[in-house]
This record gives sequence, C-alpha cells and structure tokens, in this order.
Amino acid sequence: MTTNHTHHDDDHKACLALFEKLSEYIDGETDEVTCKAIRAHIEACPCCTTCLETLKRTIGFCEEVKEVPVPAGFSQKLREALKKMPPALSS
Amino acid sequence: MERKPIQTPDVRDNDTELVTAIQNGATDRFEELVTRYEGKLYNFGLRVCKDASDSEDLVQETFINIFRYLKDFRQETKFKNWMYRIATGVCHRMRRRSKYAPERELSLDEFLPQDLADIDTELPAWAAMPIHQVLNRELGDHLKASVKELPPQYRLVLVLRDMEGFSTDEASEILGITPTNVKVRLHRARLFLREELKGYFHDNQPHTS
Repeated sequence: MTTNHTHHDDDHKACLALFEKLSEYIDGETDEVTCKAIRAHIEACPCCTTCLETLKRTIGFCEEVKEVPVPAGFSQKLREALKKMPPALSS
Repeated sequence: MERKPIQTPDVRDNDTELVTAIQNGATDRFEELVTRYEGKLYNFGLRVCKDASDSEDLVQETFINIFRYLKDFRQETKFKNWMYRIATGVCHRMRRRSKYAPERELSLDEFLPQDLADIDTELPAWAAMPIHQVLNRELGDHLKASVKELPPQYRLVLVLRDMEGFSTDEASEILGITPTNVKVRLHRARLFLREELKGYFHDNQPHTS
C-alpha cells in the first residue's frame, strides 16, 4: 500500500507483509525487530499510516461501545430460576 | 458426596474471596455472583447471540451451569475466564440448535484493495476526530449490527478481545484455541469491521460540531 501507482514492487511487498501484522503491532505483540521495521515503514508510507490509523480507530470504537442495562424483570426471573435449582454446591 | 476442601487458588483477583466462600458452603452468597456478572453476561450475549431473548437464555443457562459446577472449579484460572468459557460453550450449543449465522472463513485477501487507486492516502475524518465526537448511538448500533455479521468464530474472538477486554492468552484459554489462532481471527474480524465502518461513513459523514 505505498503512495502511488508508480511504487516499487519491493515496497508493495513490504506493505502486504505489514498488512498481515497490523493488529499484532497495534496490540504490542510483535517482537522488537518487527516492531521497529513496521514503524520505519509506516513513517515513510502514507497509505499504511492510513491503514493503521483506521484500524486503530475501529478497535477504539469497539472498546467504547456502551453496555445496556439488563431488561426490567429479567433479574427477578433469573433469580427465581436459580432458586429452583437443586443444591448442587452442597451435594 | 462430601464437599472437598478447596485448595489454595492459583490465581487471585476480586472474585477469589467470594468464589472460595461459596465453594466452602456459603451458597446464599451465590446471588452476589449473579449481581456482579448478570449485566456483563447479558451484554456479552447481546453481542454474540441472535437477539435479546437468546441473550437472556445465555445468561440463565450460564449461571445454572456455574451453580452446578462451581464446586469442581479448581481456581487454576480466574473465575471470570472460567465463566466466559462456560458462556461461550452455551453460545455454541444455542447456535447449533438454531442454525443461526453459519460459519465461514474470512480470507485476508478479501480485505486487500483490488485496485491501488482505491487506497486512501489521507486519513478520513472519522478516524481523525476524537472517538467520543464520532461514536454516537447510531454508530454504536451500526457497529453492534456489524459485529453480528461476522462469522461466529471471528465474532467471539473480536468480542472477547476488543469489547470484553480479555488478553490474547485469556481469549485463547476461553475458546480453547491457540494464541496464534486468536490473533489471526482477530485481525480478520477487525478488518471486516473496518470495511463496514468505511461503508457507513461513506453514507454518513461524522458530525463536526
């Protein structure tokens, strides 16, 4: 994913190799050598920068999605169902 | 069968004291576990099950299984991880019953641009603006719906890792797959969601207010 249509094949290979490892890189799960190589490539490649940032933001949205409350009445129903259970813990 | 004395837990966290007490006979405190986790499990269910009704079934069946098998839980892992392992097992069984959302593989190639002209060199507004300025209720709903479009084996990994906050190793333990498999599925799931978001923002520009 290099910058334009005239990019070199080797650059494109580097983009593809990075594309496979982007999540690991974001999660800090790549080894130091790979991490350095990815960082150096990204600094020189606007396409990969965009790719990285949009993926990071996708993860950010997932992390921030709000939880909803348990529906009214469900908690009571759940407790009643559990009360009907035989005393497995003391058996 | 006599209750076995509980060995010293290998892993300690906020649940250890409560879980150990229940295992040692304080069954009346089981409700504290329910109160602590019913909301988390209900939301997990909403993210991985077909609808709210299935999510309620998932919560109930998970707690019933916890109630049944807590005496056998050796505390070699966190209670929460064990609970989610039970919940994902329930989820698998429910899916087999309903034939909901069949499995399919996501290939990395699906997410590679077909044409170099399709590649963005500029960061789109939705990725450049602060998250809380962009993530409104409508986008949240769209994201949740997009997660449901993921094939189940990818959806579970994404939900555990990016929504429930488990580490790669924990997700691996919960799902019974290798950490490498977690990473592969997670990456493809994220790329799938990113494509969904791109489509969404193609039609809905983020508010700039």
